Amino acid sequence: MVLALAEKPTAWRYGYQLCQQLGLKPGSLYPILVRLADRGLLETTWDTDVPAGRPPRHLYRLTGSGGALATELAAAPARRPHLKVRSQGA
Amino acid sequence: MVTAGAVVAAWAVLYVVVVTTAPLSYDPATESAAKVNREFALLLAVPTALWVAAALMLVDHWWFRTGIRMFAMDPPGRLLAAAVATLPDHRREWGMAMNAELAEVRGRSPRWQFALSSARAALRLPPLGGWPVLALTTGVVAAAVAAAGPAVDAAVPGLGAFAVSFLGLVGAMVVLAVARLRRVRLPAPAPTLLVTGGVAAAITMTVIFLLRDPAAARYLPPANALFLAAVLAGCLWIAVAAPRSLGTNRLAPHLGVAAAVVFVVGQLVLIRASSDPRIEPAGQQLVQGLAALWFWFGPVAVFFVPALVAGSVGRSFRTGLQAGIWAGIASLPLTYALWLHEALRLYAINGGLLWFGDGAPEGENLGAALFWSLRFIPLLGLPFAVIGAAIRPHTARPPVAPTQHAAATIKP
Repeated sequence: MVLALAEKPTAWRYGYQLCQQLGLKPGSLYPILVRLADRGLLETTWDTDVPAGRPPRHLYRLTGSGGALATELAAAPARRPHLKVRSQGA
Repeated sequence: MVTAGAVVAAWAVLYVVVVTTAPLSYDPATESAAKVNREFALLLAVPTALWVAAALMLVDHWWFRTGIRMFAMDPPGRLLAAAVATLPDHRREWGMAMNAELAEVRGRSPRWQFALSSARAALRLPPLGGWPVLALTTGVVAAAVAAAGPAVDAAVPGLGAFAVSFLGLVGAMVVLAVARLRRVRLPAPAPTLLVTGGVAAAITMTVIFLLRDPAAARYLPPANALFLAAVLAGCLWIAVAAPRSLGTNRLAPHLGVAAAVVFVVGQLVLIRASSDPRIEPAGQQLVQGLAALWFWFGPVAVFFVPALVAGSVGRSFRTGLQAGIWAGIASLPLTYALWLHEALRLYAINGGLLWFGDGAPEGENLGAALFWSLRFIPLLGLPFAVIGAAIRPHTARPPVAPTQHAAATIKP
């Protein structure tokens, strides 16, 4: 998840888009996003520029700390990351 | 209309069952079976009609506030909306995020998959402090409940079932609060303190009553003990951690609690006056008339007046209902505690029950307090909280649309 978000660190992503990209079900994706946000690794915002009648969508991208973690993970892929994130589908 | 029809049909069945299987007793010299049955039908019809009216008003309010929006959704949307509605305040944005993404998913099967999986996530977000804290809390609650029964029964015979029920319910609320990261909201500290004090007074008076008259334990069988525990724990829950759906207005709890205090003080004054030997017989008659009026119309007023005032001032049905509910949760435990206190005092003076009958065992006061304070008052009064709140529904402010709220909570 962190590495996927770090591919384009400045780009905002939608939850459904991440589900499709990573092959995760939302039941697995959202708890991970919640934990990342709780730890200050993920920033969120709302996309209010949506078609009429649609609700605003939540957007995600890594914070500076999240980017640093991604760099660390990319540099040492064999080592287990200290952040526990589950990636099995739900 | 379906609800109303079902209630009327249930009422008719109940009426037929009662008059055929347990005919009402009457004096054939002065009454007839038809007359007694007619009066019974009327007695049964009035509260039924009130409850049906209140239920219809609630359904009407729910429909225009939530029902129309829910009706416009497909089943996966409704499922997810229901699941995310259980999220605590500080996780609500995640619920809105899931709902918003579901709007982008096309196709029946993918929508069901997305909604089911998201609902699972909404219901299983990490608890406060993590799973170990939740497991520890659950363990402590279970141990306390298991130990409470024998320990309390040994100290106060007959109170064990109540202790287990009350601790179990309060413990379940604590576990739920930890599991759902629900913070104690204390919407209004002073009213919360008063309700908590009322619950403590109700428990204290039950203990004192059973210690003074251990034979009274037969009026607190497990079913009654569970009922008492459920009412007191429910009052405590609303006062300490009321869900958002019960309203967030700060004036409403104060109005409700103020009405409850007036109601309970009025009872105290009338009880004391009715047993005051210094008051002349003519004055006693007046006091007893006032007491009867207070007894029958007090519960109506204590729910109706704060609901009406809060609903009008706050221009909101929900605020009015919130005030009525606060009046209920404050008046029920206080009335029960007062009943037991005054019953003990008066029984020591004249050997009679508080309101009804002389020569009965003192313990009957406990059964009477349970029935009249905790069953009769809400049964009669609660519909009036709804009616009072609904009197000016047309002036209610339109609810804030979720999209507006979402846009207002943008995070950097």
